[in-house]
Amino acid sequence: MTDTAANPAALAAKPQTLWSTAWRQFRRNRLAVICLGIVAIYVGVFLYAESVYWFARLRDIVPSYKVADFAARNAHPSAAHWIGTDFAGRDNLAQLIQGVRIAFEIAFLTSAILIPLGFLLGALAGYFGRWVDNTIIWLYSVVDSVPSILSIISISYVVGRGMKGIVIGMGLVAWVGLCRLIRGEYLKHKQRAYVAAARALGAGHLTVMLRHIAPNVLHIIIIVFTLAFPRFILTEVILSYLGVGITGEPSWGVMINDAKQRLWLGVWWELGGATAAMFFLVLALNIVGDALRDALDPKLKTAESSKA
Amino acid sequence: MALLEVKNLKVYFPIMGGVIRHKVGEVKAVDDVSFIVEAGETVGLVGESGSGKTTIGRAILRLLEPTDGQVVFDGQDITRMGDSELRPLRKQMQMVFQDPFGSLNPRMTIASIVGEALTIHFPQMSRAARRDRIAELLRRVGLKPEHMNRYPHEFSGGQRQRIGIARALAVEPKFIVCDEPVSALDVSVQAAIINLLQDLQEQFRLTYLFIAHDLAVVEHISDRVLVMTQGKIVEAASADEIYQRPQHAYTQKLIAAVPKAF
Amino acid sequence: MQTTNDTLLSVRNLRISFFTDEGEVRAVDGISFSMKAGETLAVVGESGSGKSVTAMALTRLVPAPPARYVGGEIIFKGHDTLKMSGEELRKVRGAQISYIFQEPSTSLNPVFTIRSQVAEALELHRRDIGIVDAEVERLLALVGIRDARLRMSDYPHQLSGGMQQRVMIAMALACNPSLLVADEPTTALDVTIQAQIMELLKELKQKLGMAIMLITHNFSIVADIADNIAVMFRGKIVEYGPTQRVLRDPQHPYTKALLECIPRLGAHKDRLKTINHAEIEAALKR
Repeated sequence: MTDTAANPAALAAKPQTLWSTAWRQFRRNRLAVICLGIVAIYVGVFLYAESVYWFARLRDIVPSYKVADFAARNAHPSAAHWIGTDFAGRDNLAQLIQGVRIAFEIAFLTSAILIPLGFLLGALAGYFGRWVDNTIIWLYSVVDSVPSILSIISISYVVGRGMKGIVIGMGLVAWVGLCRLIRGEYLKHKQRAYVAAARALGAGHLTVMLRHIAPNVLHIIIIVFTLAFPRFILTEVILSYLGVGITGEPSWGVMINDAKQRLWLGVWWELGGATAAMFFLVLALNIVGDALRDALDPKLKTAESSKA
Repeated sequence: MALLEVKNLKVYFPIMGGVIRHKVGEVKAVDDVSFIVEAGETVGLVGESGSGKTTIGRAILRLLEPTDGQVVFDGQDITRMGDSELRPLRKQMQMVFQDPFGSLNPRMTIASIVGEALTIHFPQMSRAARRDRIAELLRRVGLKPEHMNRYPHEFSGGQRQRIGIARALAVEPKFIVCDEPVSALDVSVQAAIINLLQDLQEQFRLTYLFIAHDLAVVEHISDRVLVMTQGKIVEAASADEIYQRPQHAYTQKLIAAVPKAF
Repeated sequence: MQTTNDTLLSVRNLRISFFTDEGEVRAVDGISFSMKAGETLAVVGESGSGKSVTAMALTRLVPAPPARYVGGEIIFKGHDTLKMSGEELRKVRGAQISYIFQEPSTSLNPVFTIRSQVAEALELHRRDIGIVDAEVERLLALVGIRDARLRMSDYPHQLSGGMQQRVMIAMALACNPSLLVADEPTTALDVTIQAQIMELLKELKQKLGMAIMLITHNFSIVADIADNIAVMFRGKIVEYGPTQRVLRDPQHPYTKALLECIPRLGAHKDRLKTINHAEIEAALKR
């Protein structure tokens, strides 16, 4: 069968998933790799902070960052307290580290609501079209038309203040962005021949939606998560600033809110520290998010691009 | 009894318009088409873009809903069957698609793509049996079984088309609709794929509906040819007749337009 | 290589490579050919042959990373385009050498009318035109668009594929180029429209006397219009000569194989011949 045999292809040594190709492209962006390193450092800090928190909570002792020492309040940065102390004499650095914990917790918990909701509704709308699509479009248009801060505050009044309120509030508001993107992708992929092929084989709607199309839109979820993370942090800061945010734990928003009052005393390091910690994480995430978007953009190798 | 009978098939697409979106007109993609395909033969369906030939192929496989008319496959009227009734029949009729790049899911391995058919229709097959079958199918279409763990983008257009053919064969169909299977390929690769399709037809006693716009290719592979334009079949004859004694003006125009260099 | 006075284009030992993760891909691997004024050259090959890259390279349209112009010269009217500055190149593009591509629907901007797109081509290179509209109308009529005056205000999506390609040709001709490069101009069109467009090109060639470089994979369409054929395979020219000679008496095994594997109307073959690319490649290396 030599003339019908395909000419042996010069295939690479190992199977090349699209993910590995994307990773290679990402690696080429030096700045993005550095920022990824920064994010990794923050993740390390997050894990440490979680362990401190749970250790104290399970042992029912006062954690180090809550230890008040009125004698040493508003202290300047020193060897004992690298970023000084706050109005109650608590160590600022320890609080900042807890701030990392809270920022990550908020991001993960909010995403736990936002991603399933946004993905499912977007997939259903894009795939089934017609009245399903119309209903979901109506739904997200309504949600989107209310200014998000107001929605979040209202929801947190109903569900309860603090972490629970913020997370549920943000989750129920932020899903709209993801839903729109996923819907667009599903509309696009529904037209592709591989979907028709799957249907021709006898695959049911759910199989096509989840097993066939979903892996092709996964990259969008990753990008949305990376770029939404900094937005969550900033929203929390605003909410805490407005007094409807976290209470009892030192989130960055709470720290900034507290610290602003002492600025006129010349005590700038608390505010500076919280802002700097926030700034670097947000910046790093934004840069990584953009680089991810470039790398994961599936430039489907078309006939044109593989012809010389 | 013919394997496939298409009777007065109509596929109309609505044109929506107006402030309150309602149907303002229709595109008559397929306009009252009837023909039969006997078991074991190759019927070529040739036409230019917009003629409706692709729409017919999809309507026959129920990838589109016919507006009117009947599609009778192996004696059964499948025009209005529901999904679950249709599923067992899907084992018998399959499609090979035009676009070698879009017809394979870029995120699935070749093994999953070809094996999916087996998972749906032969669920009791063991993993090992499935792997063996996939390997066998890949060999049949001229590919190496070791490549089954690779991804579509690692292959050339011609190889992807072979994978598509392997996928169609996995369920052991009787009837395959080839929707412009070679139009997107280089000339030399076209020749290899056409030869492959002919070999497979002999080996497995397949029946083909071969849809294309290239008259020379259609004439080469088909026993009978149907010429379509603007949703209607204007001429139907054996492959020889179509070329030597075209009756309809449109067929004559088509033949005249084919550049004959040598 | 003849360098008579009317040599329009002389390509010598052109080498262009793409540098990717997987290494160097020699898209164009040392080719040489020339064209006289008014000559039509067909460059025939399959994908990966380097024919499109060659065409784009004439005015340095190949994006320079990831590609690199490794070596050679492209002498157009006495000047090497590979060494021209950006300014000089812009004067050549569109005015001396213009292009038409395969997919007219994507080459035309969907939000501008036909008139404004043709006019843009005029405005870039022929500022001396007094009344632009009249010239646009003349060009559209030249390419066989009836009711040019009415059609001018249409948008691309309102035209059929064949009409869109005619508009592309009108834009390419706007500035009387000496060389028209047509990269697979009829591949995306129906066969009846294809015949019309090829007729049009033949007419224009006679009327305007411009040289045409026709890039295609289809031997059949070049027989009528081309003076010479260059057959490319994996970046090299494997055969080069007058059209009738190449078609009737091909010398290189690749050309022979390529001609034989094309299905021909009325040929009554049992099986089509195929090409074993690996063999040809091995033969080339020797």
